Amino acid sequence: MKLISRVLISLMIMATAPVQAATIEMNVNGLVCAFCAQGIEKQLRKFPATADVVVSLEQKLVAVALKDGQDIPDAELLRALTNAGYTVRAIQRTETPIADLRERAKQIKP
Amino acid sequence: MLRWSIGLAGALALVGPLSAVAKPIAFADGTTVMVEDGAGTMTEEQIFYAPRYDVSVGGGHIELDSDETTKVRRINYARLNYLVHRWNLDDAQANVFAWGGLGSATGNTFSGTLLAENAGAQADYETRRVYASLKTDWQGSQAFSHRIDTLQLGLAPYKHDYDSLATWFLVQARQYTGGIHRGVESALLLRLFKGGAWVEAGITNGGKLQAMAMFNF
Repeated sequence: MKLISRVLISLMIMATAPVQAATIEMNVNGLVCAFCAQGIEKQLRKFPATADVVVSLEQKLVAVALKDGQDIPDAELLRALTNAGYTVRAIQRTETPIADLRERAKQIKP
Repeated sequence: MLRWSIGLAGALALVGPLSAVAKPIAFADGTTVMVEDGAGTMTEEQIFYAPRYDVSVGGGHIELDSDETTKVRRINYARLNYLVHRWNLDDAQANVFAWGGLGSATGNTFSGTLLAENAGAQADYETRRVYASLKTDWQGSQAFSHRIDTLQLGLAPYKHDYDSLATWFLVQARQYTGGIHRGVESALLLRLFKGGAWVEAGITNGGKLQAMAMFNF
């Protein structure tokens, strides 16, 4: 009985706990023109796992918010950015909410 | 008139005159529409689709109206644009493009419709504050040969970002061959772009208006 209670409680906690969506942050070379960088957002939004995209020319940053429990392999990200005409220098996965990255991009605008 | 209407409507709707470097290829799976009025001697409309980031295909119409004589050329063309090389640097991007195509030409100094050929190239360098491009575009047939060489140098008063309005001030020098315009035509231009819309307008040393609008989607 105790075991069943523990399992049920655990399941309830898992069901109610907020899931932290992962963010992929990419450092990109050649990001100098917003008119031309639209292709990056267009390519990245094609991925079913993409929840949101933030581009910051000032930080040379392209960030993708992932849908819960989903991911995009690095190789596919590299291919997408290359197909958009840009060069990826680094890819890292963080827990930074995409809203924070968007806010940071606004605050450090030139 | 139609060209002006489209350009003006785009400018008013999107609050942006023409952008930093006009490229014949925007991005993969992107469509570019461009209209330009080159101070009365050249008007051009283009539409290109890019299946890849380094190739676009499409067509256009160019009309050359000599301000030396009564000579007029009207050329419709299909064209392939190719990104020969791109340098993605830390704070800059540089490109070399080339293009070529075929079309048909009519005019008032020859009869009928002639096969027309087109070829050109562009080299550009751009940071978020400075911009330079050199473009050459040739149109030819058995009855004529015209080349338009354009040099543009630009300065941005501030760095724009992805979602903000970009503003550029440009000086342009343009030379026409084949009796379209005598000497070098210079112009001062204001270029604005935001999102997928770019508008540009200015005045030449001859006091004529030059304008362009471009849209990426």
